[in-house]
Amino acid sequence: MSEDTVMAEDSVGVDDTAAGAGSLGRNVRRKEDQRLITGHGRFVTDVELPRMRHVAFLRSPYGHARITGADTAAARDAGFRVFTGADFAHIELRAQSALPSYVETAQPVLAHQKVRFAGEAVAAVVAADRYRAEDGLELVEIDYEPLAPTVCAWEAPSEPVHVEAPDNVLLERTFDAGDVDDVLASAAVVVERELTTNRHAGNPMECRAGVAVWDAADGKLTFWNGTQVPHIARNMIAELMGLPEGRVRVIAPDVGGGFGVKSVLYPEDLALCLMAREMPGIPLKWVEDRAEHLLAATHARDHRYLMKAGFDAEGTLLAVDADVTCNVGAYSVYPWTAGIEPLMAGGLLSGPYKLENYRCTVRGVATNTAPSGPYRGVARPASVFAMETMFDAAAAQLGIDAIEIRRRNVITPADIPYKMPSRLVDDSGHYRECLDKALEALDYDGVRAEQRRRRESGESPIGIGVAIYNELTGLGRAASAGPRMPFRTGHDACTVRVNPDGRVTVLSGVTSQGQGLETTVAQIVADAVGVRYDDVDVRIGDTDESLWGFGAFSSRQAVIGGGAAHNTAVEVRKKIITLAAGLMEAAEADLRIEDGDVYVVGEPKPYITVAEVARVAYLESNRLPDGIDPGLDATTFYDPIRGAFAAGVQVAAVEIDRATGELRILSYVCVEDAGRAMHPQIVDGQIAGAIAQGLGGALYEHLVYDDAGNLSTGTLLDYLMPTSAEVPDMVIGHVSRPASNPLGVRGVGEGGTLGPNAVLAGALRDALGIDVDELPVSPDRVWKELQG
Amino acid sequence: MKISFSVNGERADLDVEPRRTLADALRDDCGLTGTHLGCEHGVCGACTILIDGEPARACLMFAVQVDGASVSTVEGLQGTDGELHPVQEAFVACHGLQCGFCTPGMLMSACHLLDTKPDADRETIRAEMSGNICRCTGYQSIVDAVERAREGMCVPAVRDSNTAAPWGATFPEE
Ligand code: FES
Ligand code: FES
Repeated sequence: MSEDTVMAEDSVGVDDTAAGAGSLGRNVRRKEDQRLITGHGRFVTDVELPRMRHVAFLRSPYGHARITGADTAAARDAGFRVFTGADFAHIELRAQSALPSYVETAQPVLAHQKVRFAGEAVAAVVAADRYRAEDGLELVEIDYEPLAPTVCAWEAPSEPVHVEAPDNVLLERTFDAGDVDDVLASAAVVVERELTTNRHAGNPMECRAGVAVWDAADGKLTFWNGTQVPHIARNMIAELMGLPEGRVRVIAPDVGGGFGVKSVLYPEDLALCLMAREMPGIPLKWVEDRAEHLLAATHARDHRYLMKAGFDAEGTLLAVDADVTCNVGAYSVYPWTAGIEPLMAGGLLSGPYKLENYRCTVRGVATNTAPSGPYRGVARPASVFAMETMFDAAAAQLGIDAIEIRRRNVITPADIPYKMPSRLVDDSGHYRECLDKALEALDYDGVRAEQRRRRESGESPIGIGVAIYNELTGLGRAASAGPRMPFRTGHDACTVRVNPDGRVTVLSGVTSQGQGLETTVAQIVADAVGVRYDDVDVRIGDTDESLWGFGAFSSRQAVIGGGAAHNTAVEVRKKIITLAAGLMEAAEADLRIEDGDVYVVGEPKPYITVAEVARVAYLESNRLPDGIDPGLDATTFYDPIRGAFAAGVQVAAVEIDRATGELRILSYVCVEDAGRAMHPQIVDGQIAGAIAQGLGGALYEHLVYDDAGNLSTGTLLDYLMPTSAEVPDMVIGHVSRPASNPLGVRGVGEGGTLGPNAVLAGALRDALGIDVDELPVSPDRVWKELQG
Repeated sequence: MKISFSVNGERADLDVEPRRTLADALRDDCGLTGTHLGCEHGVCGACTILIDGEPARACLMFAVQVDGASVSTVEGLQGTDGELHPVQEAFVACHGLQCGFCTPGMLMSACHLLDTKPDADRETIRAEMSGNICRCTGYQSIVDAVERAREGMCVPAVRDSNTAAPWGATFPEE
């Protein structure tokens, strides 16, 4: 193991190493765990307020229908408060993009005029509890006149979803570099495939939830919401409701998983806030159930890739010509737009491979299905599958080893910074190193030998699958997430405050849905200020506390929110040093802070404590040196301007049961360059969790609509999420190359999801020689293939 | 309907509608919000509690069904002195939780598993814990935590490629 190759030896139990060592890079005890492990977490569902009432939404049973009438009299007569689309018809969600081809459409708060997907909310009932609210729903009559639904994005619609887009295409763009046609014409081999990926969803274990209360005295709205993006939500709610932004407070307390699904402002969220304004002083609570979640929270990954790739005789990739259609569902998801998946697919299709000639037309097509939104990995679990399929197919045709053909084409450290054909700049490049390490962990030669042995003996066949990918993380303003929306998500703010007792409070703009940001931010600040991890409290998720943060998406928070925390903490340390130097009449350059004590260099004993310095700063202005103001805090913003690419390789050995078509994963290995690991357990947890989600999507999870637009997988009995019995033990390794940002980190939240589709499809091809053009790789599909 | 039962050793007297689920009664009437609801149709296991020592899904039961029974929830695991239950401690040590939403159900299932099958090996743990869905962790760290709680020893949260046993010429089952 070379010196600069950091492995995760630290991943053994919680590291309670005492003071002095610094907390970054160690598995400190997570700040979140005590409350979560004892049943004292604070999820939105747990919010209980005086006079609280409960909301239930009535949802459309049709995929596509005109609304011809709404009769709420019976419900009102029974004493229920009822809201329908007409109540909020003046407000609509319009996701905006300045892209030339983008067709802007509107999403109503509660559907009126027409419904565009089964499960769309058409009315809401308020009652003393949820049971009664659901009783009330039965008394509301909505009349529908069914329209022809479209569920497949690559079939022509008979009735457009939105009048503004007669062909249902909400956005189309072509990425174009080099000379694709000529190069393909002269290529030694051109492989061509039509690939489709299965619609599935993030499906966090906590469904959506909200509590809204309107304070009539101050004209202020408070909204507890399990959102990944409280500041964006505040901004949007204020704008949509015509409120001063300072009078909207969004609080995201503990959130039970997000994965992108909760980075959207949903019509139900806005409905709750609007209803609360109509009912001053009465807190309204809505807790989504799983059936609603599967119907109406965002879906993802319903794509088709028409792929053509040309290679020379040595297997060098020469050109890619692709046409990508993404089913974006009934609405352009707010605020990310219908461009979120197609543009990501087009921007990152070529992934970690060197390529000059590239043409890729991507389009987002509306259908009568639930809206698609960001889901961990956005589009790339599909695009990586498409790209890796090209390499496997070319390798087979050219008689080159599937690993070798990839090794020849990946970006290397010598190529860095590498400008991809979509003009994104890759700054990692450690793919070969990740690949070597992954193959070693898999015992590649051993598996190959076993594969040959089994071929001869006739035992269950095994195959090896491989995926190489890059994950664009921590996007600054120059590479900012999203398709030319009216905002740029490159920065976050952080406030660090030393309290009069010397303990530190951090008001950070990051949010957490399980990623442990309270812990990571505390580690960063503790080390940068020079105090103990245990003496730092981090408060997140409340827009009345932190100044600004865009929230959790695009694997951005460790880089951006972490960078902001670090820079701010450094400012505060400087202030402590300046003040201490004045008090001690010492030179600033001679002072250092460690574990809350201020030392003069070379002296073994601390001279003064941070607590004493802080006391002076707040309570003893008489002792303040000249020119120093009271207080001990700082607030700064950080924007990395560009992004940091994380590199990743996943390989697996998979056994196929010929009798049942079932895949059994014998060994699964992932090696990533995730930069510096601030908390190795958390980093590995992100990777392992992401791989498990990827495996679920590759093998089981499939949201299926029938032709009439009904979701036929509406419970967890039909929508199969992987359990501990299906997800195998994984081996996770690291090639930790610091990125060029204050902490040297690369984002790590999403990468794991990118591999499994390609890995399992590749393993199947390797084992049996069959092409996998359609996902998921479910046992029935495999079995059918095996029958010929 | 009036019901009485014991929850974490304390007596609860409630007057509930017959249709009220046990989960709602525990969460809203008893204030024990540690029991979570992830599906409300008996699949995800987030609501797992113990009734007279046996695991049950609080979302699938009516409150009236526990009249006279003894119920244990996650809030009862921690000792009165504040010390964590070994299973809780193991989940923290092994990073067996991320968002913590599935965790209460996982802990209750794990406690029951270790009570009834103290010798459970890794495969058994995986099979027995498969009634609880976790969307965050990928399960490895949860299985590690259960093993650690059982053995009272240190198990890596996620195995490193250097320590995981790669196979050689022979191809082991796992
Ligand atoms: S909430 Fe009871 S099993 Fe899911
Ligand atoms: S820790 Fe989030 S669902 Fe298990």
